[in-house]
Amino acid sequence: MMDLPFFTVPFGPCHPSSGHFHASLKLDGERVVEVIPDPGYLHRGFEKLMEYRTFLQNSPLVDRICILDPFAAELGYVNAAERVLEIEAPERGKFIRTIMAELGRILSHITWIGVTSMVLGLDSGCKIAWGDREPIIRINEKVTGGRIYPCYFIPGGVRRDLPGTFPEMIENVFDRLEKNIEQYDFLVFNNESFRLRMENVGTLKTQEAIDLGATGPNLRATGLKADLRKDDPYEVYDQLNFDTVTQKKGDAFSRGLCRRFEIEESMKIIRDALQKIPGGDFKNKDFKPFTKAKEKETYFCCESARGEQCYHMVGNGTNKPYRAKVRGPSFSHTLEEFPYLAKNSYIADIPAIYWSLDPCPADVDR
Amino acid sequence: MDLKKLLQPFKLEKNLYKKPMTLVFPKEALPPVENYRGRQLLNIETCVGCGMCSRVCPNDAIVMVEFNDKKCPQIHLGKCCFCGLCAENCPTGALEMTSEIFIAGYDRSFALYDPEKLSKSE
Repeated sequence: MMDLPFFTVPFGPCHPSSGHFHASLKLDGERVVEVIPDPGYLHRGFEKLMEYRTFLQNSPLVDRICILDPFAAELGYVNAAERVLEIEAPERGKFIRTIMAELGRILSHITWIGVTSMVLGLDSGCKIAWGDREPIIRINEKVTGGRIYPCYFIPGGVRRDLPGTFPEMIENVFDRLEKNIEQYDFLVFNNESFRLRMENVGTLKTQEAIDLGATGPNLRATGLKADLRKDDPYEVYDQLNFDTVTQKKGDAFSRGLCRRFEIEESMKIIRDALQKIPGGDFKNKDFKPFTKAKEKETYFCCESARGEQCYHMVGNGTNKPYRAKVRGPSFSHTLEEFPYLAKNSYIADIPAIYWSLDPCPADVDR
Repeated sequence: MDLKKLLQPFKLEKNLYKKPMTLVFPKEALPPVENYRGRQLLNIETCVGCGMCSRVCPNDAIVMVEFNDKKCPQIHLGKCCFCGLCAENCPTGALEMTSEIFIAGYDRSFALYDPEKLSKSE
């Protein structure tokens, strides 16, 4: 038989299910032989930009690292900056930051449900999910003043206090969301065609996941209880009651289920935090726009919706960071796990594998 | 075949009688939110020309220009990221964020708001 050359198919950056990420798929018939990821279509150079801005000016900048989960990017940044600046946020500020970060997690997971159902050809799931996203964005708007980019956390607290009607707004949205989660179960997670495309696809074992640098729901779906909110509590997570969601199988479907149960867990955290939230100041008045940092180096990790969002920051006595390094969760998910899982799979499974990892191309390139 | 499973798709029929989630945009836009970070509004009388807004702006969108024998901010909205740091750090509260969001124009000069244009609300 004649040896035919491999057929190369581009996946992205204009593919409807790839985001701004490009990978070349080498095909042998229907089977993927090799995946060559080619990131960089969304590179904006955050790490260098952060060196030219003061600690206050960096807060609106880090929002743009991952558009779908801006609160976690800010939370990691302000905590790292607070350590370099040697200031402490008041207790109320920490509670507000925790609540908004969990709201960001819900927002990100709902978007995941929407996008994944869309790329698997289930458009109604997408429409319902994007409809559910809107009331939460509306809360963002009322609390922070911005719809997608909150620019809300600053070193030493938050920029504004929560509005008085915040608990009612949250209850209204959560009542609606709880009803719609049943609808997601019926329409998406118990849907036979969705399950057929997601189950036993892209299975990852715990040790493999650790070796490939997986964090967050992708690691927890393999059965490991790894959650920075429990393992290394930051903000006020040690005062709140919640469980770590894990799944056993480690395939694309259990990664999805992990996210679906985390929405409920985040709702639990927000309700718990709203009962325990103390009064008082919401920001530390010691932090001024041009406060100078100490000569200090720090590394801070927080649990974003996708995994560990970490910042390495070096202060040199000026009001700007000398060096800031961002470690995004999507980097290892997209560049390590995706080629590993996609190898030897069918080309029709590529969108299911890719989106089950919940990648954010903006976070990969930074 | 299970009858319950067969009838399941008809559950979604109730969506036919629900209100749509979307709005017919220009006719029924969402009401503006209080404290929204839209375009800035300048009160020229209370502005002392200290230049704090231009120093704190992360994108260098604000330049201080001569206006009525004092310095006032001139904002390039094409560079502005609407973070609201300028209004928040204004010592006299002369600069504030409004909920005005319809600021598109046909050329680039439309985005340049000099102190006079900045002080007029539409």
